[in-house]
Amino acid sequence: ASVKRDISVPPPSALFTACFIENLSEVEYPEGIKSPKAELNANAKDGRFRYDRDFLMQFMHICREKPPTLPPLDVLGIEPIDQSSFAM
Amino acid sequence: TEPGEIQEVDMQAQAEGIRTVFSHPTNFNVKHPLYSSWTLWFDSPATKGRNLPQTPISSFPQTPVPQTPGPAAAMGWMEDIKKVISFESVEEFWGLYNHIVPPSQLPQKANYYLFKEGIIPAWEDEANKLGGKWSIQLPKEKNRSQVDKMWLYTMLAAIGETFDPHLTNGEASEPNPQSLITGVIVSTRPQFYRLSIWTRLAPSGVPEDDQLRERIEAVGRHFKTSVLGYPESHKLSGPLATEVEFLSHKDSEKKGKAAKKLIV
Repeated sequence: ASVKRDISVPPPSALFTACFIENLSEVEYPEGIKSPKAELNANAKDGRFRYDRDFLMQFMHICREKPPTLPPLDVLGIEPIDQSSFAM
Repeated sequence: TEPGEIQEVDMQAQAEGIRTVFSHPTNFNVKHPLYSSWTLWFDSPATKGRNLPQTPISSFPQTPVPQTPGPAAAMGWMEDIKKVISFESVEEFWGLYNHIVPPSQLPQKANYYLFKEGIIPAWEDEANKLGGKWSIQLPKEKNRSQVDKMWLYTMLAAIGETFDPHLTNGEASEPNPQSLITGVIVSTRPQFYRLSIWTRLAPSGVPEDDQLRERIEAVGRHFKTSVLGYPESHKLSGPLATEVEFLSHKDSEKKGKAAKKLIV
């Protein structure tokens, strides 16, 4: 019920076309994925949710897409000291 | 969780039209909103004097503009601090995390500032000026292999909004109570790292502030034990190292004299 999307335009990135979850209890996670700790969101309103670390860590290896709005890091002066041990 | 497990498509969720990143890594249609939107800022000697399209002056959030010396000074301070990106979902956070340089790989004298959108990482900001910070200083050599995880866990507690126990243990009576946390910082220096948690308020030591002091101390204990992973009574200070210490921004200005620190 919380999902609305214009399907006529191919989305550039799901990061921007995806809707915000409004009700966490509507979301079912695949087997093996933990839901956010329920007690953190007992009084949640207006989609303002809290998330425990165990829940958040599950996204680490899945959300690999570079955010389209991320500027080139070297322009910002963010350059790793040891290029060999850090692969962009 | 093994990577293979997450590929499973949950038929029920799919039937309802809700596709999370776990079942559809590139074609998800819902994302997890954060309690607040966040902005990552960066500075280092290399960013000084660089004039970039992203230079924050133009992208300043609506901080009350320089009627007083405070915000004016903040503008000067902010000139060398570069806005990296803003985000408002768990999915966007990890996309950023997976493409940015971790603290252990930053040059000396660099800082990441992760602050709630609309709050600049300066004590002059309205949201910070009555506040203070928990911080810990860690010797670099001993902690190089730890600092990235410590910073990650610090960011996760911030964006997950679990630093402030007043919010997580059901004590707050109103819905969506305001969090004490305004931002978190990691700093690299030649000899050490420093991690800081900035708060909106700081107890002044008068009895009326006891409740606030307890709430602030609970933030510090959560930082020390759950985020950094130290036992509660563990002594941390030593050469180049400090305890987990709280200091109000007002007391920080006094440069040591009469500064009342809290320690957890």
